[in-house]
Amino acid sequence: MVHYPKSENGPSIVLAAGIRTPWVRAGGAYKDEDAAHLGAQVVRELIARTQLDPSTIDEVVAGCVGNPFNQANVGRVIALRAGIPRSVSARTVARNCASGIEAVTSAITHIQAGLGDTYLCVGVEHMSAYPLTFGKKMTGFFERMMKARSPIAKLSTLMSFRPTWLAPTITLVEGLTDPTTGLIMGKTAELLARDFGITREDADQFACESHNRAQAARDRGRFKREILPMIPLGSKKRRVEHDDSIRDGQSIEKLSRMRPYFEKPDGVVTIGNACGITDGAAALLICTEARAKELGLTPLAKFRSWAWEGCDPERMGIGPVHSTATALDAAGCELKDMGVVELNEAFATQVLACQRAFDSDEYAKKKLGRDKALGHLDIAITNPNGGAIALGHPVGATGARLLLTTAHELQAGDHELGLATLCIGGGQGGSVVLERMS
Amino acid sequence: MTDFSGYPLPDNCPEAGECIRVERPEPGLAVVILDPPHRSLAVLDAPLIRDLDAVVEDLEQDTSLNGIVLTGRAPGQFAAGADIDAIAQLTDPKVIEKMVLAVHELFNRIEDLKPRTVAAISGPVPGGAFEISLACDLIVASDDDKTRIGLPETQLGILPGWGGSHRLPKRIGLPLSLDAILTGRLFKARVAWKRGMVDRIAKPEYLLEVAKDIAMGRKKLQRKHRGWKAWAMDKNPLMAKFIASQARKTIMKKTRGKYPAVLRALDMVIAAPSESRESGARKEAIAIAELASGPVCKALVSIFKGSEAAKKLGKGPDGWKPSRIEHGAVIGGGIMGGGIASAMADRGIWTRICDLSADALDAAVMDHRKDIDKRKRRRRIRQHQANEALDHLDMTLDSNTLGKSQVVIEAVAEVLPVKQKVLGGLAEIVSSDCIIATNTSSLSVTAIANDIPNPERVVGMHFFNPVKRMPLVEVIRGEKTSDEVVSATCALALRLGKTPVVVKDVAGFQVNRLLAPYLDEAMRLFVAGADPSRMDRLMLDFGMPMGPFTLIDEVGFDIALHTGTSLHEAYGTRFTPCPAMNDGLGENRLGKKTGKGFYVHPKGKKAKPSLATDLAKFQTETWANKLNNAELVDRMVLSMVGEAARCLEEGVTENAQMLDLATVFGTGFAPFHGGVLGYADSVGTTEVVKRLNIIAASPEMTDREGGVEKFTPAKILIDLAASGGKFRV
Repeated sequence: MVHYPKSENGPSIVLAAGIRTPWVRAGGAYKDEDAAHLGAQVVRELIARTQLDPSTIDEVVAGCVGNPFNQANVGRVIALRAGIPRSVSARTVARNCASGIEAVTSAITHIQAGLGDTYLCVGVEHMSAYPLTFGKKMTGFFERMMKARSPIAKLSTLMSFRPTWLAPTITLVEGLTDPTTGLIMGKTAELLARDFGITREDADQFACESHNRAQAARDRGRFKREILPMIPLGSKKRRVEHDDSIRDGQSIEKLSRMRPYFEKPDGVVTIGNACGITDGAAALLICTEARAKELGLTPLAKFRSWAWEGCDPERMGIGPVHSTATALDAAGCELKDMGVVELNEAFATQVLACQRAFDSDEYAKKKLGRDKALGHLDIAITNPNGGAIALGHPVGATGARLLLTTAHELQAGDHELGLATLCIGGGQGGSVVLERMS
Repeated sequence: MTDFSGYPLPDNCPEAGECIRVERPEPGLAVVILDPPHRSLAVLDAPLIRDLDAVVEDLEQDTSLNGIVLTGRAPGQFAAGADIDAIAQLTDPKVIEKMVLAVHELFNRIEDLKPRTVAAISGPVPGGAFEISLACDLIVASDDDKTRIGLPETQLGILPGWGGSHRLPKRIGLPLSLDAILTGRLFKARVAWKRGMVDRIAKPEYLLEVAKDIAMGRKKLQRKHRGWKAWAMDKNPLMAKFIASQARKTIMKKTRGKYPAVLRALDMVIAAPSESRESGARKEAIAIAELASGPVCKALVSIFKGSEAAKKLGKGPDGWKPSRIEHGAVIGGGIMGGGIASAMADRGIWTRICDLSADALDAAVMDHRKDIDKRKRRRRIRQHQANEALDHLDMTLDSNTLGKSQVVIEAVAEVLPVKQKVLGGLAEIVSSDCIIATNTSSLSVTAIANDIPNPERVVGMHFFNPVKRMPLVEVIRGEKTSDEVVSATCALALRLGKTPVVVKDVAGFQVNRLLAPYLDEAMRLFVAGADPSRMDRLMLDFGMPMGPFTLIDEVGFDIALHTGTSLHEAYGTRFTPCPAMNDGLGENRLGKKTGKGFYVHPKGKKAKPSLATDLAKFQTETWANKLNNAELVDRMVLSMVGEAARCLEEGVTENAQMLDLATVFGTGFAPFHGGVLGYADSVGTTEVVKRLNIIAASPEMTDREGGVEKFTPAKILIDLAASGGKFRV
């Protein structure tokens, strides 16, 4: 358990500004992009908009799950490509799907420890570039070929080759599979559906609502304040201005036609009620309130508390309930005080499972060690602009978007408090309570 | 001792023996260091050659030597080649021939030295500097970014005359040596090594040690021999003939045979593999004597010196240097704005391009990327360099994000109130010392600067289209523009790889003010019956990169008319535009952009434009068709000369050299004439005045509005003619 309560005498830390690229389906418009280019572009824009002197940044912290194999420490590559002076250090952090928030909480911890007051946090993921790799047998074959000196040795090695070795390992699938339990993420969502009795109809209904909300939010220009339009590398068409996996006019009928993907034939998780594989990057400026004032910025929100908690890896989707309990305690408030909640939609069943667990006295007693349920999670205020099912889930970047969207929603909806939370592969939850600037 | 009398000495010529140091770091080794006290970078001028001669004589007599290293005084400094000033001064072919032969003799003696000779070269190693290295047994080059090796003589209208035309082909064979000598390209160390031009490369820190070790035989190094290739290619008459004919075709296509040095060099290189040292030297000496004393060489040298002078504009006269620009912005995402922004991003300036239209921005960024992709495909740049160029350009719709800019270049519509409004708004966003440059072609910089706070930072920066290819930038000094801002703007132009020329804030500035009367005259001759394709061909033969009608089509009728009208307003009757220009050639016929002008421009990359068939109906008279070729050319070219003289009189550019530089780089005016004024000089000012007067007195001119004024010679021209003087001294 790690958590941060807003201490009385510590500095007040704020989300001073933020921006993100449109979230784009993997293999789509960003297929020729690379993580550092996406990240650097939002960082440059953030610096230009805030007129921040980049040499005053204490550190750049990037969250990324699948660090590109050709951009080791992608945070540093982003910083350099964004024109941040070489003297400013940069690192990359990972906490699976929460890497984008991990970058921020790690920056907050540093500021609290007295290590500077200005951090540039990035969440970035380019899932299009997750490679296919050769298996052990094939790499072994390559090795033997290289070591074979004489023509005869070479020939005999060559003879040992078997075509089945060419079958690649899909790193994307491997990455989405929990190595300790052997369950792919979709199956953990199926498990939660069974645990909490969530039906296919419930899940499709939720997914449909996500798309409809996202469509409405996009159409009324709600995302304009957080999205930087991009001309993708290699694109011959116009700029991308919106998240491109929102399905206009999504209906329950259309969703109900899809077949279960992970557990056939009786499963409830389909491609339609799960989040998509997506590319994207977001940049956030995290600093003390005093520093923001010095820069002449009006911060988007203040950090009230945050928490990381562990749970059952086979039921990783329930993580938000665990971390939110801690974060709310630390913030000294309750679930009903939240004006808006951004709960990442890895799977519709997983969000609904969280809702039921929040509501359940039994779950509270058994798993959280409390007498009473945390309270009711009102779906009306949860993901009011749609969530990952509609927008997509570029794993390393999502956390940053949740914070950014929540902060903007505090202002747009005139709320006092907001909660950004998400489940994390491997059985964890992360929650951040944000407070509107007074 | 060789006799070097007659070779011009520089003004600050040092005493004998001061230009070269010989060090003896160990027994058996001599390190010969080119270290002339009177030059910042060693030049193979008379005093240095004189001292080298003495040193070689000593070395010849020293029997204790095993190895000799020839090198410069510091890393990155070897020598800059022959003395360009001396080439410009020498006029007597006999003297030139004698001097060249004397140097040949000296280089031959270096080649014949018994100990192993090793040249350790770094930095720029052009022409003569490389030729002296070729006379050594082995060449080691410094493996860094600053090393540039080659034989650029043909670009100055001469050819490698100190053995380069023979030693290089013998060393690396015909195809590669032709490429090096005919293009005059300078090669990076690694490329030069791969091509066999040098024998080894070493990091600059190790260069001298490696050279010493090789000279003393501690490190083995042998020159690669061409072996069978020499017989199959270089000395095979059939092969040589084939290579020669291919090369000749390319040269004729590119230069229309206007540059005798290139053709001469071609012949010499083709024959080189079988030539003896002595007859080769004689051939080179004779060729140099002819070429160096000829007009083309003098013209090209004058342009070279002009562009060298332009390179100094980026600093103050007292050596003050403007601060390096890290952040810049371009307002206006059109073709010009996009081109400028792309050039800035390429040179490592963090550039933001701003426009009100997202489509324009998209197009600008896309063009930038296309350009990078092309260079990457051609392996000019590597992936990380492509990324760098890519990352340096961002687009924005919001000018409030440009606050960090140290320079803002505006390229919006050519409407004074629009420019004033855009720049006025920007002035509030950027800091008070941010340079505000306007890429105007027809408006007054002073007027644009009028209401902007701190007008001393407002300057004109007139780029030409297409920005990536056109080498000139006119830097326009407004009435209030400060010297520092002018220098900083020139420095920026230089950083973008352009040649700056500082111009007064007069209508049309320098280049358009000269192009307008020329195009106007062509237009009038067309209306009076002359055939446009004939005039285009005549001007191509004259040495222009394209004929006047091709140029009008390229620029567009609307732009040409706009320029013509604004110049007419500024200068009065002599700029009266041809009345036919007002009507154009009809609806939607603006030139290349609409697909039809004087020529029909079919779509598609390979399709060639053809002359429009309906031009006769625009020709109201026939007399111009009766003019002979020379008369037609005179009317077009002398209209430019006449105006150039007036510009010089008004001091539009600093001097005649800069004016000519602007004409060569801005209009493409035949470089082998040395520019507009250089051309007037070569015709003779007296003759120019005579011809101008004849044209001015012709009935066509007396009948037409402004005709007489246009061709009446300026006072400066009449004065020069009276004294038989020249514009360029």
